[in-house]
Amino acid sequence: MHQKYFLATLLLIVAGIPVAEAEPLDNSTAVPVKNAPEPVKAPATPVLTDQPMFKFGGFGSVGVSHSSQNQGDYVLESSMPKGAGRSSDWWFGNNTRAAAHVTAKFTPEVSAVFQVDSEYRSDGSYSPEVEWLYVKYAFTPNVFMRVGRIALPTFIDSENHDVGYSYVWVNPPVDLYRQLPISSSDGVDVVFRSEIGEVGNSFKAIYGTSTHDRPGSVATSEDMWGIFDTVEFGQASFHVSYQQRRESTRNLQTGVTGPWTRNTDLSVGASYDPGDWFVISEWIQRRSTYKIGAMYVSGGYRIDKFTPYLAYSQNSPGSFFPDAPAPTAAAIERANRAQSTTSLGMRWDFMRNYDFKIQYDQVKLSDTSNGYLINVPAGVTLHGSKFYVISAVVDFVF
Amino acid sequence: MSRHRLTLSLFLSLAMFAAGARAGVVVVVSSKSTVKSLTAEQTTKIFLGKVVTFPDGQAALPIDQPEGSAARDEFYTKVVRKNPSQLTAYWAKIIFTGDGRPPMLLVDNIAVRKAIAKNPNAIGYIDKTAVNRSVRVVLEP
Repeated sequence: MHQKYFLATLLLIVAGIPVAEAEPLDNSTAVPVKNAPEPVKAPATPVLTDQPMFKFGGFGSVGVSHSSQNQGDYVLESSMPKGAGRSSDWWFGNNTRAAAHVTAKFTPEVSAVFQVDSEYRSDGSYSPEVEWLYVKYAFTPNVFMRVGRIALPTFIDSENHDVGYSYVWVNPPVDLYRQLPISSSDGVDVVFRSEIGEVGNSFKAIYGTSTHDRPGSVATSEDMWGIFDTVEFGQASFHVSYQQRRESTRNLQTGVTGPWTRNTDLSVGASYDPGDWFVISEWIQRRSTYKIGAMYVSGGYRIDKFTPYLAYSQNSPGSFFPDAPAPTAAAIERANRAQSTTSLGMRWDFMRNYDFKIQYDQVKLSDTSNGYLINVPAGVTLHGSKFYVISAVVDFVF
Repeated sequence: MSRHRLTLSLFLSLAMFAAGARAGVVVVVSSKSTVKSLTAEQTTKIFLGKVVTFPDGQAALPIDQPEGSAARDEFYTKVVRKNPSQLTAYWAKIIFTGDGRPPMLLVDNIAVRKAIAKNPNAIGYIDKTAVNRSVRVVLEP
């Protein structure tokens, strides 16, 4: 926490100094006249700079959800201490957030990104936190390195998970996206982009550490590395990622730190979007002391400003590896959570830079668990039951 | 009767021809550029920031027209196959992950043509009627 505020302050100081020097975007002189008649080869240093040094922006969402199951709370992420259902009939915490963003381009090679985000936290507050903070050095426009806090592209929409406006759903299919192992890394990454014929490729490798707050505990990941690759061909896109790390969880009440366990995560995804319609599917397998899998498939059709869509997502219950130490009852219960969700929704682009979405989810809990419902009273079993969640959200970007 | 029908169909086809000739966005580069033609796919990659060069390796500087302009809407619908909301959603993902910025903006067909004429690396889309000898059409969608 302190580290985050420190980093934020640092960037604000750095960003604050040259603000006055930022060049206004003057359209009439935006394209410099080149005297040399020969065109220039793609340089490591692009000769054409036309944009201001600092760009400010932001995005946000205001969303409300209602669950028909009032014996537990429906949450989208493991960091959330309360949700729709038992704690509240109409709940704003699942899909409400706001963020401010600054991109600074100091030179063609050196740029920085700072993004601070306020959303529902593990302590029940909406306290702002630094989501992104990195300095980027571009060796060429297609090869660059970043140092700082970097979001991990585990899934196709992981990096922009908070930017509701950037995707069609109220929230990315929940049974897969809640399995997102780590959302960001404090460390370094390198990116190589290439173009071979019509095929574009983007390769990323990262190394870093991370802390992840959950209600009542903090998970720390170290020696974390990952490789991520995206191939684009026409309107088709393929994504694969592999991550590995050591994780330990500290209980905030008892102060006890659990043993370090090795985690590996493998995910693949594919999408096809020719414009009028789209299909997308992703899959992950996570391995720690047990193995768990999740997937979704979704599709939609665009009719002018309306995009109706369908999605199905599910996760499998965890199965422990035989060579792992005998799991505790709590660990078995955690690993055993499983559910599936069938969603029907509609996005409406009602105004420039705004959308309105409405979504109906039918959630089915596995026959041996209460799924990912939280705050279920002791002794209540909802195994195998179904309930619905209805959500509406307005997203905006500026 | 048949003469009326003939007159009517002639009139309609002329009207359609006139409308077709008037509207129509084309993709242009400077006449000083070595780029002779581009596919819709190559143009799309340049305007979405997926590549920073032309296929022959020259640096590419895409220039947009303002949101809501006829040329922009037609270009993105026909060539890039994204409507204005899809385009904003696309750039929201790119901007807020720090991966890039949308192309620079010039006010209209003439401003874009003038800027492109002077810069062998620039590429833009303008209405067909604004084309003159200073620029070369590389894609007619």
